[in-house]
Amino acid sequence: MQITKFDLERDLIIVPARIWGRSGSRMLSLVLDTGSASTVIAPQVVKDIGYDPRDRIALTTVRSALGKEHGYTLKIARFAALGFVFTDFEVNVFDLATGYDIDGLVGLSFLRNFDYEVRSIVGKISVRPAVTDPFSP
Amino acid sequence: MVQTQPAPTPFISEPLTWAQICKRYPDEWVCLVEIDNINDNDFAFRTARVVGHGKRPGDPFEQARPFRDQHECMGHYFTGRVRLPLPRLCF
Repeated sequence: MQITKFDLERDLIIVPARIWGRSGSRMLSLVLDTGSASTVIAPQVVKDIGYDPRDRIALTTVRSALGKEHGYTLKIARFAALGFVFTDFEVNVFDLATGYDIDGLVGLSFLRNFDYEVRSIVGKISVRPAVTDPFSP
Repeated sequence: MVQTQPAPTPFISEPLTWAQICKRYPDEWVCLVEIDNINDNDFAFRTARVVGHGKRPGDPFEQARPFRDQHECMGHYFTGRVRLPLPRLCF
């Protein structure tokens, strides 16, 4: 099991993450967001590690409280967060609205691979790989 | 006529703690290299060197460009308090 600490003083659960691309890697701060289906990375970050919108898998439309925004999906070489690493990990590249001072979101596309527990009183997230329940139908 | 902005002057700071970085570059985005991590699963580090800073998220990347070859790994962090609200996203 991996334990990640987060700062209780902050308004959001912000966790460290690292992404690798064609021209190096970047260590980022991402918001843990169980309300987001995708893991989101800001365009300027993927650009800086050597990706381009032409590398996209698909164009996407994101519906948010602010309206419709356009982005694209991309497979990045490696993505690490909460103590685990994925290769060829698909992210949604999307410009979070100006004024949000984060590099992106860790969404369910990452989290659904794990059993996890957020302990808000102590500021810890415990994560372990999901195990299929042999008794489930 | 096309006007271009002058390229930011490359610089690298001395090793600084996160508190020193926040004090020197308040409410800015920074690019860090030579991050002396305490462990892998949180943000805590002893010191790091600043190679770029600015008000917009992309600013420090531009300034840090000359250091890419020497530093495979860079940190990209905001020194201020993250602002709310975050929009709820559905794909």
